Amino acid sequence: MSAENSPVMINLQSNDNHVIPVERAVAERSLLIKNMMDDLGDNALGQIVPIPNVTEPVLRKVIEWCEHHRNDPPSTNEDESDNRKKTTDIEEWDQKFMQVDQEMLFEIILASNYLDIKPLLDVGCKTVANMIKGKSPEEIRKTFNITNDFTPEEEEQIRRENEWAEDR
Amino acid sequence: MGSTPVPRAIQMPPQPNREDIELTWKYLEMGIDNIMTRLQDGMDMTTYMGIYTAVHNFCTSQKATNMTGSSASGVGQAHRGAHLLGEDLYRKLKEYLNGHLAALHQESKAHTDEALLAFYIREWDRYTIAAKYIHHLFRYLNRHWVKREMDEGKKNTYDVYTLHLCQWRLEFFTLVHEKVMSAVLKLVEKQRNGETIEHGQIKQVVDSFVSLGLDEHDASKSTLDIYRSHFERPFLTATREFYQTESKQFVSENSVVEYMKKAEARLDEEEERVRMYLHNDIATTLRRTCNEALIGDHSALLRDEFQVLLDNDREEDMARMYKLLSRIPEGLDPLRQKFEAHVRNAGLAAVAKVASDAEKLEPKVYVEALLETHTQYQTLVKRAFTEEPEFTRSLDNACREFVNRNEICKAGSSRSPELLAKYTDVLLRKSGTGVEEAELDATLTQIMTVFKYIEDKDVFQKFYSRMLARRLVHSNSSSDDAETSMISKLKEACGFEYTNKLQRMFQDMQISKDLNTGFREHTKGLQLDKQALDSSYSILGTSFWPLTAPHTTFNPPPEIQTDLDRFSLFYKNKHEGRKLTWLWQLCKGEVKTGYCRSSKTPYTLQVSVYQMAILLLFNDKDIQTYEDILSATQLTPEVHDAAMGILLKAKILHMKPDGDKPGPGKSFHLNYDFKSKKIRVNLNISTKTESKQEEVDTNKTIEEDRQLVLQSAIVRIMKARKKMKHSVLVSECISQIRSRFVPKVGDIKKNIEILLDKEYLERLDDDELGYLA
Repeated sequence: MSAENSPVMINLQSNDNHVIPVERAVAERSLLIKNMMDDLGDNALGQIVPIPNVTEPVLRKVIEWCEHHRNDPPSTNEDESDNRKKTTDIEEWDQKFMQVDQEMLFEIILASNYLDIKPLLDVGCKTVANMIKGKSPEEIRKTFNITNDFTPEEEEQIRRENEWAEDR
Repeated sequence: MGSTPVPRAIQMPPQPNREDIELTWKYLEMGIDNIMTRLQDGMDMTTYMGIYTAVHNFCTSQKATNMTGSSASGVGQAHRGAHLLGEDLYRKLKEYLNGHLAALHQESKAHTDEALLAFYIREWDRYTIAAKYIHHLFRYLNRHWVKREMDEGKKNTYDVYTLHLCQWRLEFFTLVHEKVMSAVLKLVEKQRNGETIEHGQIKQVVDSFVSLGLDEHDASKSTLDIYRSHFERPFLTATREFYQTESKQFVSENSVVEYMKKAEARLDEEEERVRMYLHNDIATTLRRTCNEALIGDHSALLRDEFQVLLDNDREEDMARMYKLLSRIPEGLDPLRQKFEAHVRNAGLAAVAKVASDAEKLEPKVYVEALLETHTQYQTLVKRAFTEEPEFTRSLDNACREFVNRNEICKAGSSRSPELLAKYTDVLLRKSGTGVEEAELDATLTQIMTVFKYIEDKDVFQKFYSRMLARRLVHSNSSSDDAETSMISKLKEACGFEYTNKLQRMFQDMQISKDLNTGFREHTKGLQLDKQALDSSYSILGTSFWPLTAPHTTFNPPPEIQTDLDRFSLFYKNKHEGRKLTWLWQLCKGEVKTGYCRSSKTPYTLQVSVYQMAILLLFNDKDIQTYEDILSATQLTPEVHDAAMGILLKAKILHMKPDGDKPGPGKSFHLNYDFKSKKIRVNLNISTKTESKQEEVDTNKTIEEDRQLVLQSAIVRIMKARKKMKHSVLVSECISQIRSRFVPKVGDIKKNIEILLDKEYLERLDDDELGYLA
């Protein structure tokens, strides 16, 4: 394999100091990394990229998703406002990918928000949405382990204000 | 820290506490300042990630809510959903930019002219590159807090990059743009005065001004407002002043022709300037400004020169003037007027030159004089005026004028079509001037050029058909192809109706040819005891041929009478009910002399049938009296005298007693000593008086026909419309007939009166006329 064809690698360093080499094209699914590479130019190649907000297991998980979706077409504003927001459909691979414990799920969402990977953030949020869908407030509290700190009056006021969103 | 004298890549202290705005901002300010002022030293990933992370962390911190001092934002605010942080960061960033720009403004005061331009461009580049970095580093702020503010329709909140541009415009640009522009204009003036300048700088200033055009209502859109008001406007004003001054001075010191060259060069330069370093948006207005200063202000001067150029045939300079004046609105109208008048005068002068003896004027000379003027100015229109349609129209107008109204046409506009038809006849007649086939067609095309301008097309038609008839009957047309080509040219110009009769004349000749073949076959089958004459007959349809029956009575000689009777019978059998009228004046034949003492070989005399009748009388007697001849031939004295005159002149016959004219009491005898160099002697010559008479006749029938054309047009219009105002009818009539000739209003009125008398029309109220079926 000639040097020209070999993929350019970027070393990502998690906040617990693990260095993970990733192909540049894969890493650039993250807009943060893409902008940075564009800004700093070739001089920055070879430097270790610190990712101070993400732990190794989460970072590996995120990279796994980026690998799988490396060839996705870039999302346009058009389908961002239409399809993507309206449906909670998740493609099969992503569904399986998201079969992780709640802790990890939230970490992935936070990491994708930080790293600026919009499609992954969407998948994460949809997964959570699907967990909420069809459940009563009590069930939701149970699912996410939330203690109810509303007074009955407050609860009633919120219910009234959000009446428009009820299923009929 | 202090131990590093050489600049090092930007590095940052450890991450600040995410919830403390003061600490966070200190950290960020240091990073931003480094990007603004020391980016050339490079930046490492740790720093980049550090700043990004600091922004992210601050915006996602839990307790930061308190920092915004929003303790008043009670339940309502909480119900907005997740509270987004970032306002403080945005405000701090803006404050930082303002400080940076204020410092720039102070610094800029030290520079003027080109140094100021260099300063402006350097700082602009540095600032916009930094803006791009900071925009990326603050992306988290853009994605959340800024997006929310904008979605909620907050004015004056922009994404971070746009914020940079806004502040530049507000805090720096408004303070320095006049000085920057005056530096730009000085530079441009230098270049206009011939110096070489660094025009890349201007290009960059233009780009910067364009970038600052932000739409107040939608930051994602840009407008050219800033560029237009702060660059274009002063640029155009300076340009106008420059060229007004320059052109005024140049014109006072140089000729108009020189000035046109100068102006042309200047206009090209300005076009080039747009391409080189200006924004394309200025192209139209800059062109307009230059046009006004360089051409519009001097248009009167240029136009005054046009006559001089025309008089001296300065084609190239006229082309230049045309190009210049075509750039200003209505610039060409006065040129066209002058051109039209000039062409008309040139045409009139050309005619006057050949018109010294109007009576003897050769048709060829006249038509060529017309054509020469037309060709000359058509070439000029093509070469100097790019065949612009309006100029072509002026040319046509001028040609129409001098073709129909010139010295030759003083008596009447019918002279032009008459002479043109005669020239055509000369060309198409056999033995004419011996023009080559290809050349002939080209000449016919030129004839059509003149024909197009002729107003009295009916006159041309009349003369043409008479002359065509003569060519056909005497079969001395130079070629059938040329005849057909001419007719199809006329048909193309005037339509089927115009050439219908001409074509029918051709058909008659063809039919006659077949008929003669049939007759000859018929004669062969008869087994006559006497050999039949070698004769041929043309049957000409009365309504198609412009021919009339002879004015004289005539008794054909017995030698041909038998053949004539046989043919008449043959024809009657073929076409029952048709009446044949002999057009004796067109008949001709050949007789041989068997009596001449001077020559062994007999002469062949080509004669008219009248002359033939006279000569054949001498077969019986050598001397005939005037009275005998008249009674034998039944010719009227005028016709006889004309035919006899030629025989006498050719010395075939002698008259006794000698005198100038044949008449009663004279007698004629055969000249046995007749001599001629040629074996064939043509005696069938029409005399001057005959052709003169024909011309007068033709013109007379034209007038008569015109009345009929007018009446039929009036009736046709009224039949279609039933009711019409008098004045409307007159103008409708003119527009229908104009393609044939230009009718006089008086004639139309006269013919309306005639039709009223004949009760085709009736008078109604209110100046209206009605049609009576």
